[in-house]
Amino acid sequence: MSTARTPLLAINDLHVTVEGKQILNGLTLQVGAGEVHAIMGPNGSGKSTLAHVLAGRPGYEITAGTVSYEGRDLLALAPEERARQGVFLGFQYPVEIPGVNNVYLLKAAVNAVRQQRGLAEVDAFEFLGLVREKMKLMHIEDSFLSRGVNEGFSGGEKKRNEVLQMLVLEPRLAILDETDSGLDIDALKVVAAGVNSLRSPERTCLLVTHYQRLLEYVVPDIVHVLVRGRIARSGDRTLALELERRGYDWVSGQAA
Amino acid sequence: MSTPLTARILEEHANASRALPPAGPTATRQRTAIAALTAGGLPTSRDENWKYANLRPLERLRFAPATPVQPQATDLPAAIPGFARYVFVDGAFAPALSARLDASAATVTPLSASDAGRTAATVPAPAPGAGADERFALLNEAFATDGAAIRVAAHPAEPVRLELVFVASADALSGASYPRVELQLESQAQLLLIERHVSGGPHASFVNSAVTLELGSGATLHHYRLQELAARAIVFDTLSAVVGRDACYRLHGINIGAQSARSTLAVRLTGERADLTLAVVALGEHQQVQDTYARVEHVAPRARTEQVFRGISAGRARVAFNGKIVVGREAHGTDSRQSLRGLLAGPEAEIDVRPQLEIYTDEVRCSHGATAGKLDENMLFYLRSRGLEPEVAQRLLKWAFLEDVVAKIEVAELRRQIEQRLARQVPEPFARGESA
Repeated sequence: MSTARTPLLAINDLHVTVEGKQILNGLTLQVGAGEVHAIMGPNGSGKSTLAHVLAGRPGYEITAGTVSYEGRDLLALAPEERARQGVFLGFQYPVEIPGVNNVYLLKAAVNAVRQQRGLAEVDAFEFLGLVREKMKLMHIEDSFLSRGVNEGFSGGEKKRNEVLQMLVLEPRLAILDETDSGLDIDALKVVAAGVNSLRSPERTCLLVTHYQRLLEYVVPDIVHVLVRGRIARSGDRTLALELERRGYDWVSGQAA
Repeated sequence: MSTPLTARILEEHANASRALPPAGPTATRQRTAIAALTAGGLPTSRDENWKYANLRPLERLRFAPATPVQPQATDLPAAIPGFARYVFVDGAFAPALSARLDASAATVTPLSASDAGRTAATVPAPAPGAGADERFALLNEAFATDGAAIRVAAHPAEPVRLELVFVASADALSGASYPRVELQLESQAQLLLIERHVSGGPHASFVNSAVTLELGSGATLHHYRLQELAARAIVFDTLSAVVGRDACYRLHGINIGAQSARSTLAVRLTGERADLTLAVVALGEHQQVQDTYARVEHVAPRARTEQVFRGISAGRARVAFNGKIVVGREAHGTDSRQSLRGLLAGPEAEIDVRPQLEIYTDEVRCSHGATAGKLDENMLFYLRSRGLEPEVAQRLLKWAFLEDVVAKIEVAELRRQIEQRLARQVPEPFARGESA
């Protein structure tokens, strides 16, 4: 854990409302480069709101607070600019986009990042090789290559596709929003293997999850518990186990 | 029904028909048609299935056939490899611009060549309830002096490939263009047919086309229709098809051009297990009107219909699709699906999609879905979260929206031309060669 350096992501006193309703209520969080943080919390605590606000989804009003990413004001950037700067959101409910081919989107996404960095576009042949390699890791069938984005995918396939996109894009900050929900144990292991394969001192990951199950396979450096829009408690991975045993009421009661 | 409009049509018809020989089937049919038209009148916006069509231009049009101005071959769309081409200018066959068919299984006869070239019944008895729907076909019947009579015989090895190009060369003030096709597929015959309507210049032409089709048992027809007339043209077209037992009819309509376009499609599935795919794409921008009315009637049992519409309306355009499926008393085991979707690409644009089902028997499977709205915000955000510029994401979603229909065009060169044409109105997300 690095605390001496400027954190990769620094959220300070963040207040967010959705349609007039206060969801995040003074959230403060610092995440260093190379760290994996888990954000846990009961339903409605603001976990998904945090993930979406970081990715720049429209419809959220930031009423106070700051978010800096690599020392820059993240909130001033459009969603596509954040993506090009290395922020990736793995969706809880990935969208089906019939008519837009999976590989086409992947390639467009990779080229958007490369353009930002002043690099030439990827070589189509090499790129396909890379995608196939990552597909194998994520147990994704060949038919994926010719299908529309998430078109007709099962819940588990959609989640694996999110992780596949993450592996191909190699983000600096990956935010996975309940990527484990709705997965059976085999799919969970595949997803976890995908996330673990990306762990490195350069990459940072925020795992938003309701259950500690995923954390058995992707071991976090720090666990935070979100209650009513702010961090109620932080600790090491044993905090997740304790939560599992005692339930969220334990922390909610303390935070009240 | 005597109105100033029908009186004027009658008068113009009397003048125009002086040039024709008074006897013979053509003259007889013209007289029958004009009598029927005068009795019923043209539809008005009060007629249920015409409320989205733009009928106002009729007041200032001339109905007599135009004197064709021959276009240059270079003004025509690029040839499609493997397809014979027949060009008609303002409805009249232009042999110099055509590349005739070299296939024993089919004959194409210009209707003007001889009255004998015409099939016995070119105007099918109007379907019950059709009412005002097919009266523009009567107008065509009354004035058309030429057209294509096509007969295709069974040829199991290879489908016949045929392209019909209808060029509108005149301004509506000087005369009308009457494209006409009478097509008969014999039992087990196979045909790939491209029918395109283009302009020979920037004229405000008046085009009124009529197509009649008859598919014998086991016949297969893939029919690609492109309406890409100039921006000020007015077009009405009426297609009437009868599909026999085990026959398969795939109709792909791409409506892009003209100021105001109305397409009336009437398909009767009269044979058991007849199989119909009716897919239409329509794009409107500026003040264009693109109106399609499709009526599919299941007469025989166990026939199948798939009706797909994708329309994009931008500017102050109106894009409408009214898709009606009637399942008759004998049509048990009918399987019909409708997927009608409209996309609003501007605050002042209009989209009207209307699925209608009338079922007079049990044991049928009929599903329909109709949506009209803006681009999906969730899809847009998903694409932006992957680094795509909002404008690129919007283009990509518009293309994806049309892809359902366009991707099913199996003639590669034609699909390429259509994509190129679509790109003028809906810019492609990426420059060519960049995409996967």
